[in-house]
Amino acid sequence: MLDVALKNITRVKTRSFLTILGILIGIAAIVALGAIAGGIEATVQKSMETAAGKIIVFQKGSSVITGFSGSEITDENVEEIREIPGVKEVIPMLFSIRRRGSNLIEATTVIGISPEKIDYFKGKEVGMEEGRELEEGDTDSVIIGKDVADEENLEVGDEIEIAGEYFTVVGIIEKTGDNDIDRGIIAPIEELKDAMKAESYPVVFVIPEDVGGAEALAEDIKDLFENFEAMTEKEIARQVSRLLTNIRFFTFGIGGIAAVVGGLGVMNTMIMTVMERRKEIGVLKAIGATNRMILRQFLLEASLLALIGGILGLFFGSVAVGILILFSAFAVAPVITPALAIGSLIFAFLLGLVGGFYPAWKAAKLDPVVALRYE
Amino acid sequence: MSKVILEVKGVEKIYNPGQPNEVRAVKGIDLKVHKGDFIAIVGPSGSGKTTFLDILGCLLRPSKGKVIIDGKETERLSEDGLARVRREKLGFVFQQYNLIPTFTALENVSLALRVAGKSKKSAEKRARELLEFVGLGKRLNHPAGLLSGGEQQRVAIARALANEPEIILADEPTGNLDSKSGKQVLELMKWLNLEKGYTFVVVTHDPEITRYSNRVIYLKDGKIIKEIIKKDRRIIRLDRLIK
Repeated sequence: MLDVALKNITRVKTRSFLTILGILIGIAAIVALGAIAGGIEATVQKSMETAAGKIIVFQKGSSVITGFSGSEITDENVEEIREIPGVKEVIPMLFSIRRRGSNLIEATTVIGISPEKIDYFKGKEVGMEEGRELEEGDTDSVIIGKDVADEENLEVGDEIEIAGEYFTVVGIIEKTGDNDIDRGIIAPIEELKDAMKAESYPVVFVIPEDVGGAEALAEDIKDLFENFEAMTEKEIARQVSRLLTNIRFFTFGIGGIAAVVGGLGVMNTMIMTVMERRKEIGVLKAIGATNRMILRQFLLEASLLALIGGILGLFFGSVAVGILILFSAFAVAPVITPALAIGSLIFAFLLGLVGGFYPAWKAAKLDPVVALRYE
Repeated sequence: MSKVILEVKGVEKIYNPGQPNEVRAVKGIDLKVHKGDFIAIVGPSGSGKTTFLDILGCLLRPSKGKVIIDGKETERLSEDGLARVRREKLGFVFQQYNLIPTFTALENVSLALRVAGKSKKSAEKRARELLEFVGLGKRLNHPAGLLSGGEQQRVAIARALANEPEIILADEPTGNLDSKSGKQVLELMKWLNLEKGYTFVVVTHDPEITRYSNRVIYLKDGKIIKEIIKKDRRIIRLDRLIK
């Protein structure tokens, strides 16, 4: 009797509204935080795809999470690594943060890499939206990601400033969904090195001759250079997934606590409802409602309250995520997956069922004679 | 004699048995209710009237004795079984009307039909007929809480009639009404009794009700002390009722 349940909910409008609000906040938190965690995951996964087959070498103490800051690998080291048997290519990379305004979120990353090795960074299959790729011998030239072009209104032929030097945009990379590329600027490494007055590289990519030998090669590099870390994409994936697990645990933890508090609100509301409607429960029993019918009716009301809260929470959570995307060039694009949306609704519904069970059970167990004579 | 539709044999009810506060509310009552009866149960406060009515209504299990409704013994029925008996055989009218105040008259009557498993549509159709039947055709969509006491009690009677009960049990149906609306409610009940063949058992303090009854049972200290059976069931003239 869904219509009766709905009607009953509207009998105590303020209380129902507040109960729904409690669930709404919890579910909105889950949706928004979950979307951000999902966005981070998607970005990382996209990056991982382009990292296939290579070993990343950096100095111990720095990490992928902090952008390898503090890591120094010299030209000499590069040559030494190149000497190791099984190494096909060694590709030094430079990173520089290019700020736009004072907001770090709006910063773009400048990546320095040899033009002819660029596919190792962005993937061979990624083409150009406009203009051309970087070529060997290019000077003062960069190619930029689609998001950078859109946000700064840049076209092929425009000049941009990096570390005090001016570079000409020769190409715009098509949209990839990988933030490292879409929000990146790729410059020839030698030019960038001069502009940044850098003496070393934070990271070098090592391409093994045999992809299957990557792990062994990484071990060789670590043996040879005591203070270097060498990670295959598998290891990075492991690290990142550990980080993601933590992020997810944290976000769902916060959202979950908020939602459980909302569930307690449902329980509280339903306990009050059952107390107030004791007489009505007596009448329902007198006119022949079984205990199961009463239980079902109150469970329906509780789960309906929670489900309405869930639907509104999903809506407002999505709006919050939309605003986040719209007003900040957030480094990760939050994603509301169908699993997140459906999962949060199911969670809300379950909260209602669990929160509503005790009061509904109390209602079902009421003695009709006592309930009827209650004043 | 018409068919016996409710029979109680040696019914007793003891609250808190064996405790210092033990109360013997009903002490061995035998009663047969025939189809078409309009029985008034009267007696002073504490005479066990309400407890007895609760037992008749299968809301309360007797400590001893049998309640037989429509030929079926009820003592071994589960709670769900008793609920089913109430749903199919019995209708209830209370002193406080016990309607859901924010629900309309139509919704209040429909609810009883919905509990019995009718669809929303067919429940509303029947509820509308019943409310027209009790003279509230123009009040269908009024919230019950905004109706007068007499009107609310008529909605309650319509609700009691919803599932075609064998017997309607009423607990002080006029207790909260002024004499004029009380009389209207009584005349409606009597009309339903005489013209539509519904059986009523009414617990009351109201001497007026005894005038409408064909049997008056006097209860004292949980026992029947006297019963008056009137020969002429049509003691109230119909032409008086229908004006």
